Amino acid sequence: MRMDNKRKINESLIAFHGVSKTFDKPGEGRYEVVRDLYLNVQENEFLVLFGPGQCGKSTILNMIAGFEAPSGGELLCQGRPVEGPGPERGMVFQNTALFPWLTVMGNVEYGPKVRGVKKEERRKQAQHYIDLVGLQGFENSYPVKLSGGMQQRVGIARAYCSEPLVMLLDEPFGHLDAQTRYLMQDELTRIWQVEKRTVIFVTNNIEEAVYLADRILVLRNCPTGVKAEYQITLPRPRNYTDPEFLRLRREIDAVVDHTL
Amino acid sequence: MAGNQPKVRVEHLTKKFGDLLVLDDLNFEVEEGEFLCIVGPTGCGKTTFLNSLTRLYEPTAGDILVNGIPVDPKKQNISYIFQEYSSFPWLTVEQNIRFGLEIKRIPAAEADANVEEMLEVVGLTRFRNYYPRQLSISMLQRVAIARAFATKPELLLMDEPYGQLDIDLRFKLEDELLKLWRRTGTTVLFITHNIEEAVYLSQKIMVLTNKPTSVKTVLDNPLPLPRDVVSADFVALRNKVTDLIKWW
Amino acid sequence: MNGTKRRVAYGMLGIFIFLCIWHAAATLTNLGRIMPDPVTVFVRFFMAFIEPIGTKTMLFHILTSLRRMLIPYTLGGLAGVFMGVLMGWYRICDAAFMPYIQMLRPIPPIAWIPLSIVWFGFAEGSKYFLIFLACFFTIALTTCDGVHSVDETLVRAARMLGARDRQLFTTIVLPTTVPYIFSGLQVALGSAWATIVAAEMIRSSEGVGWLIVSGQDVGNMTQIMVGIVAIALTGLLITSMMRGVEARLCAWTIRGK
Repeated sequence: MRMDNKRKINESLIAFHGVSKTFDKPGEGRYEVVRDLYLNVQENEFLVLFGPGQCGKSTILNMIAGFEAPSGGELLCQGRPVEGPGPERGMVFQNTALFPWLTVMGNVEYGPKVRGVKKEERRKQAQHYIDLVGLQGFENSYPVKLSGGMQQRVGIARAYCSEPLVMLLDEPFGHLDAQTRYLMQDELTRIWQVEKRTVIFVTNNIEEAVYLADRILVLRNCPTGVKAEYQITLPRPRNYTDPEFLRLRREIDAVVDHTL
Repeated sequence: MAGNQPKVRVEHLTKKFGDLLVLDDLNFEVEEGEFLCIVGPTGCGKTTFLNSLTRLYEPTAGDILVNGIPVDPKKQNISYIFQEYSSFPWLTVEQNIRFGLEIKRIPAAEADANVEEMLEVVGLTRFRNYYPRQLSISMLQRVAIARAFATKPELLLMDEPYGQLDIDLRFKLEDELLKLWRRTGTTVLFITHNIEEAVYLSQKIMVLTNKPTSVKTVLDNPLPLPRDVVSADFVALRNKVTDLIKWW
Repeated sequence: MNGTKRRVAYGMLGIFIFLCIWHAAATLTNLGRIMPDPVTVFVRFFMAFIEPIGTKTMLFHILTSLRRMLIPYTLGGLAGVFMGVLMGWYRICDAAFMPYIQMLRPIPPIAWIPLSIVWFGFAEGSKYFLIFLACFFTIALTTCDGVHSVDETLVRAARMLGARDRQLFTTIVLPTTVPYIFSGLQVALGSAWATIVAAEMIRSSEGVGWLIVSGQDVGNMTQIMVGIVAIALTGLLITSMMRGVEARLCAWTIRGK
């Protein structure tokens, strides 16, 4: 088992090798969020991290993003330890985190801009991704003018525009209504099929997990680790009420430690 | 029981903002003790619809009658539950549940009994002296439900209360809601974007059209309780409703 | 658009009613002995653009006061923004300077008059000093609040996209802070203009504050009122100009509403 992991690490894009994370809460002592996590992400894979409420899913994502450093173990991106945030990992935030003072174009071209890409080139690049997410015609709109679903399209285009190796999505559709959520799940699948990237998608919604994933990792409650793993081989586009879809949804949901 | 008079009757409800027609001549009835779910495409004017029902907006035309009298939340016992579980942070769980009873000047003995019953049904007896900040989201949502049911309302309006919750948690809270509904016989209007939720809860499903909003159709939901979301009948009804409103 | 017009109309109506009451009070009652009526005041005010009060015409008085205000206001604004950013961005600066600012800010500018005369003499220097004080603290504090209000997720988003520290400052911290700076500038403008009168009490022979002070010396009630009108109208004018600049610079906050 360990040997196997060792070999896999060298091949995979992102590798957690026995990673743990503890926080020191003032007055409450140490708080263990992640314990002994082994996890490998392959290139162009759509991986969903699925788990209950506050189980530390976001902490895992924040470690990959470089916002948090592991307390123990090894976290490698392309075989090198992760040190701080960087544009080779693109992040889409739950609350969109769009820059409200910039237009759609301004937001999408922000990445190339701060990295010194020439205006003409970065505009072309940004326009490509704005078209890809279906926002042509809204280049000069400010984020507040857009609906929740459209704002998250900007978030996806902005992350894509830095041409990252891996996309990190932290419950990106959590604030949307059920129908817009279905739309965005379809859109994300479409975009991902057009421009394949490695995706790590965090959600607490089992329907969304089964709809999107190549592979689902069910996470334990705190301190979290991988509880179960499922390969989802249903052909895309998937159908929410397909019997096999519903069966998988029920089976996987039953594994989760739900807390009330 | 006032004969065959419906609990709620909406006649020609119309709302315009300036020249913009938002609600276009809505007509429907809700029977006493019925659980009606209202679904419609995103942006279909559900909020305007609800705000007209609660008289936050004055309708441009038409009437909303509860027990045959024009609706007035100040005179009639109507409760609301919204997505933002609004409990008062300075009151304990028990005080939050009691709040509505005190406003309505229910005698202390009766209020005590109601509060105990509600604490029991939603399983918060152990947490009665906790403050909202000490509770999880699902517990807060239970406080909201208990508070709404405690006054034994004639009509309960719910606006997408479980929109942001985990699916499993949502089902648990929905089961509790059904339990309370059966126990109290309250008439419930439940607005949601989520078709699966509507099929899981309702006796009837009212489907709204896109703006300007009107009633597209009202479907009966004869599936026996408790419902199984994987069963063929359930899926068939869910697909039927989905086809009526699908825009995505 | 309709709403804006209605607002303006109601505003005008309010002023008109006020002027009517004032006029009635001054002409029909004994109040007239201690208070000139509005017609006299406004006629004198507009006449003063041609016919000098003291040795200078009204335009000169207003421009003199504006110069006295704008120079220290600009300096105080720049210094305040600089100090606010320092305190907001570096925790150590906040710890070092905040106690002084909190201590000095509540002292009204006029309390500094005696000291300012000793330090800067009777000439322009002491006036500049008072008005500088009137602006500096407010702007420093609001700027500091603005820097503190930067959304941590936006900083994270920018870092993920490859922004370095200096870029974080120019592309995230500054845009967040600009609306705060403007609200500070607005408040400071009010106190600066209010301090003008006090500053011109230190010996001067022109300016809108001087109109009032010299009116008091000679017991000329109309001149005092003319001074007040000059201050009010000029204040209104600069505040509106400022709003215009703000609307242009912070389009994203206003468009959001």
